[in-house]
Amino acid sequence: MTRAFWTLWKREAGAILLSPIAWVLLTCMALINGFSFSQCVAYLGQGVREFTVMQIYFYIFHFWFLLIILVPILTMRLFSEEYKTGTIEMLLTAPVRDGDVILSKFAGALSFYLLLWIPSLLGLAVFQVVTHQAVPVAWIPLGLSYLMVTLVGMLYLSIGLFTSVLSKNQAVSAMLSFTIIALLFFTGFLSYLVRDPGWREVLTYIFTLEQMRSFSAGQFDSRPVVFYLSGTIFFLCLTQRVMANRTLKG
Amino acid sequence: MIRVENLTKKYAGGEAVRGISFSVEKGEVVGFLGPNGAGKSTTMRILTGFLPATDGQIEVAGAKLPEESLLVRQRIGYMPENVPLYPEMRVEEFLEYRGRLKRVARKGITERVGLVLDQCGLSDVRKKIIGTLSKGFRQRVGLADALIHNPPLLILDEPTAGLDPHQIRSFRELIKDLGRDRTILLSTHILSEVEMVCRRAIIINRGKIEASDTLANLAKRVQAGALQIEVKADPVGAREKLAKLSEVGGVVELNRVGEWVSFEVTALPGKDIRGEVDGLIKREQWPLRDFRREKARLEDVFVELTQE
Repeated sequence: MTRAFWTLWKREAGAILLSPIAWVLLTCMALINGFSFSQCVAYLGQGVREFTVMQIYFYIFHFWFLLIILVPILTMRLFSEEYKTGTIEMLLTAPVRDGDVILSKFAGALSFYLLLWIPSLLGLAVFQVVTHQAVPVAWIPLGLSYLMVTLVGMLYLSIGLFTSVLSKNQAVSAMLSFTIIALLFFTGFLSYLVRDPGWREVLTYIFTLEQMRSFSAGQFDSRPVVFYLSGTIFFLCLTQRVMANRTLKG
Repeated sequence: MIRVENLTKKYAGGEAVRGISFSVEKGEVVGFLGPNGAGKSTTMRILTGFLPATDGQIEVAGAKLPEESLLVRQRIGYMPENVPLYPEMRVEEFLEYRGRLKRVARKGITERVGLVLDQCGLSDVRKKIIGTLSKGFRQRVGLADALIHNPPLLILDEPTAGLDPHQIRSFRELIKDLGRDRTILLSTHILSEVEMVCRRAIIINRGKIEASDTLANLAKRVQAGALQIEVKADPVGAREKLAKLSEVGGVVELNRVGEWVSFEVTALPGKDIRGEVDGLIKREQWPLRDFRREKARLEDVFVELTQE
């Protein structure tokens, strides 16, 4: 990685952490995470044996709802704000490559996104403290769950970055990325409805919820990894194309 | 330092710049003049590699655009219009960040930041958050940013816009100072600024270059230098005699007070008619009580070249 990338990444991460959005998001995440985790525990407390707490946690509605809302809020300002305030002109007349700018913005948002999930790990620790029991942690399912969270986050963040380069208006960027992400997420559910086996197979490739279920059960599958990584690269390249044109006027 | 040939920039709605050519030599301080919307900012944004040109050959600081855009950006210091800055950063922190982006050597960066802080009069506010600074200081931060990597060429887009008279004065001094060992291209629509700071001006209007010359030569091009005289004479006869002089372009009667009549006598371009008019007054023995010449100002040049 180049020196420019690290300099830019530092500024991106700094800008996120110095904005009120960061702390509001962190607080809300911790609140909703805590709530959903306690619900999972309550559910298991009724004597359910077929699921682990992590499986329920990553399958539960709160988690996905949060993920779909969170990414657009996190990414909407990345380019839109710089276009609106004009700082993009200052940024791009410095001797930096477009690629460095895009990757550093992506990496900055991803770093904060990963930070947001740390409180969810604390749920496990709190559980141990409260119950005074050494809860056996299944490391592989846990690691795979967070790998999946990271991969999904990468794709969604790259979508958000792309929509942010399209408009000066943060609300427009957020709405666009929310729409794309929500469509992508909910299309997977069609695999329950479609009768044609060919289509059903295609739909399971992008069915994030099912992929998460198998990952959190400790079953690794390379297909989703390829899907999310190539999707991320696709949207980063699209962002680069739009940026190279500099036709943004509105 | 800058060589532009047939530069054209088309937008969806029309042409912002229509095939302009000009050059700026090393060590020159050149004013880039034009009414609002003439294409100044667009041209500057193209020169800095921010916008792609639709057509034309551009060479800035020894590198071609758009092929060697990184090299160009490394060699120029650019201060955009309205000076966009990150409001959450501190002055010193911002300049360090910009220095690193502009590849100032890791070791020399603190020293370099200290130097430009001093040069731009920012030492007292180095720890302040940019968002809390006044417009004048923000402008200075913008200039410090343009200077941080010690570029041989400065491109400044309306550097004094929005400053109060004191700030404008000190800012001009600063630019004058910088012009001693650097090439500067600065745009403005404040003409007195160009007269004070620049040796040469390029006047652009509706995307075309109307004139590009030294200030002295520009002044010669217009029929300014009008002479105002007030004599005691027959108004009609005097007017005819004045108009017959070989270097006089026109005579306008301004007003009459009793037997006194005053005229505005304009010269043909580039001529000085003071001697000729004086000779006539002496020959005719007209009593004279006013004889003065308005110096040609850049404003006259500008208005004449850019009027509809």
